[in-house]
Amino acid sequence: MVNPWIRQNVAMKEAHAELLTLTATRDHRLQATWLHPRSGCQEQVTLEASQEYFPSLTPMLPEVAWDEREIHDVFGYIPNGHPDLRPLLRTPRWPDNFRPLRDRPSARPAWRDAEPDNPALTVEGEGVTIMKVGPTHAGVIESGHFVFSLMGENVLHMDAHLFQNHRGVESLLEGQTVDAVGAIVTRICAADTVSHQTNWALAVEALAGYDSGAGLTLGRIVLLESERVLSHLNDLAQIPAGVGFQVAHQQALAIKEAWQRSLQRLYGHRFLFDTVRPGWVVPVDPEDLLRLVHAIRRQWTPWRRLVEGHHGFNDRMAGVGVTTLAEVIRFGGQGVVSRSAGKVFDARTLLPLYQDLRPVPVVESDGDVRARFSVRVQELEESLRLIEQAAARLRAMPRDARWCPPDAVSGQVVVYTESPHGLNVHDVAVVRGRVLRYHIRAGTYRNWPLLAHAVPGNAVADFPLINKSFELCYSCTDR
Amino acid sequence: MVWIVQGVGVAVLVAVAPWMWGIAQTVKARCQGRRGPAPGQLYWIIRKHWHKETTVPDRSSWVFRLAPSVSMASLVLIVITIPIAGRVPPEWPHNMLTLFFLLALERFWSGLAGLDTGGTFGGLGASRITTLGTGIEPALFAALGIAWQVSGDGAIVPLAAHLTNGSASLLPWALASVSVALVLLAEWGRLPVDNPDTHLELTMMHEATLLEYDGRFLALSEWAMALKFTALVAFAWVVLGPQFSSLWANLGLRIVEMAATAGALGWLESRLTKLRYFQLPAYFAVAAGIGMLGFYLASGGLGL
Repeated sequence: MVNPWIRQNVAMKEAHAELLTLTATRDHRLQATWLHPRSGCQEQVTLEASQEYFPSLTPMLPEVAWDEREIHDVFGYIPNGHPDLRPLLRTPRWPDNFRPLRDRPSARPAWRDAEPDNPALTVEGEGVTIMKVGPTHAGVIESGHFVFSLMGENVLHMDAHLFQNHRGVESLLEGQTVDAVGAIVTRICAADTVSHQTNWALAVEALAGYDSGAGLTLGRIVLLESERVLSHLNDLAQIPAGVGFQVAHQQALAIKEAWQRSLQRLYGHRFLFDTVRPGWVVPVDPEDLLRLVHAIRRQWTPWRRLVEGHHGFNDRMAGVGVTTLAEVIRFGGQGVVSRSAGKVFDARTLLPLYQDLRPVPVVESDGDVRARFSVRVQELEESLRLIEQAAARLRAMPRDARWCPPDAVSGQVVVYTESPHGLNVHDVAVVRGRVLRYHIRAGTYRNWPLLAHAVPGNAVADFPLINKSFELCYSCTDR
Repeated sequence: MVWIVQGVGVAVLVAVAPWMWGIAQTVKARCQGRRGPAPGQLYWIIRKHWHKETTVPDRSSWVFRLAPSVSMASLVLIVITIPIAGRVPPEWPHNMLTLFFLLALERFWSGLAGLDTGGTFGGLGASRITTLGTGIEPALFAALGIAWQVSGDGAIVPLAAHLTNGSASLLPWALASVSVALVLLAEWGRLPVDNPDTHLELTMMHEATLLEYDGRFLALSEWAMALKFTALVAFAWVVLGPQFSSLWANLGLRIVEMAATAGALGWLESRLTKLRYFQLPAYFAVAAGIGMLGFYLASGGLGL
């Protein structure tokens, strides 16, 4: 007889539900929250484990492999039957009994004097070479250690060791007051900050039963879409650099810089930090927004013509780093990566936030670098359209009165938004105005394992191109 | 007189090499909408490296330390071999085989240096440039097979006159020129074969073999890289370009040609993307094929 925990969760997956979060708590409780993409309803499956062990879902649902490894690392609960229980974020420097989210460490633990590397999975055999890249890279990117098993120029296997800069955000958030959380959540990640801030705001508003007005909602949509434009511009700039197309690279960076300077002018921050709070959003003049979009279009349209008309560039992207729809579904892929392989899922279509703006999910089917590039190009234009529509509506709208969350909210809620990197979920439990548990599951968390599947079979020289087309976020993943 | 012109030519070529490299970089920057560094920037970079402390990896041998000097020496010898002003005395060793050999020697030592430290990227780069060599060399022979037809011994002499005089058609000359241009782009490590400006180690070819170098070794390697560019530009224009009757005028013409080629290269590179590594054999096959077609036409094939 299959364990009910496994059976219920597998039934959710078979009903095509999206896994939002899989979290544990200090009292041996595991909770999986699923989202039904048709109705937008959430459903939770709980397990009261009552001991150190719990049955692993990974053999049936490989997408939770990392979640379970993380629970093992930070809580010390052992997923029974997990095929690969190597440390995910635990490093050899952690003391053996250090379980950061289980026992609240009163003092800084005594780090052991050890090499920080965890063992890598590699291919062995005649003619196989092992190549290690990172964690420090030549470009301005975050820390990731990649171990390639190569046969000549061909990649046989890639093992990604992320979690090099673990900050313990979830543990830091525990016990914080509602007022203090915003400043921390804003800084989880510079690329998806608005999405994180909006999640927190939605969580508090849901817990307090506050119904945000249309002005607030539209202001948030403008911010969320501005962030997507910024993030996509950056990703679109990096992909040409992977094949030496410097002109497209530099011109896109120039557009991105222009956009960031406008954001600085409008919102006071180049990365949009501290722009969304519970019951509040930075007020802007809709006319300014419309002018901004108009100005960016003037630069964007020639750039799009340049890249779409470049035969060599398009040829170079086609058929490289393919992710299939089956893999996306198996590993729970999110965001641009999943939509470029044919999965029709964009959380914006489910969010009440966007209700009458009707965002259209952009879907391609090839799952290669070209498809991911093209999805970003189209999504960026869709975002500009949404900003224009929202700004046009804001024009006729009086400014909402500011709402301050009550001091003593309580409850648990799972909230999500569609960040530039995919479905971004916060699982928030608050008791009398203090955070009990705060779990953050960014879209990239599900996409990293997909990258490891997309790279083998390609030439190692194409790895930067494939990696940049995924453009996965490190700091969202390693909180 | 010929001796003095050749001597001045060699000195000028070695001296202006970094500047020619800089012209290409400046043009590239302008095409990207950037102001870019001044064309003379590479001199400052070389000077900076020269005055820095030189360190070598623990597990490297004398091969690693000798390689930059061998590269530089082979390139200076290449420059000496080329009749820069179009003419050298017959006893001067100006043979294409010598030049091809020196290019291979330089490549061989770059590869050795990449392997010597046991670093990952060095080995990868060594493997790639050596593989590239197997494409470049036959294509170069095919492109310039005409030289043996003209001179009998493959001497580096102006061929343009021979190619365009005898036959009514410019076709053999044009084909040889295209073929040489394709091969030289690869030999210089420029787009669409290699990207000299990348910071992505996984995609590097020639740069990957230099990653472990610093200080004076790096200064020497950078200069050698620039010299390889200028030397082969001069070579191509001597063999395939127009010549004046005056030696000094030819020397001046070479400088203009080099600067123009550098500018054209910067413009061209801004329009290209890097080819897939596994497409490179096809690239060299095309280069060699064009060259052989030119050779065939020049030897009277198709009755042209």
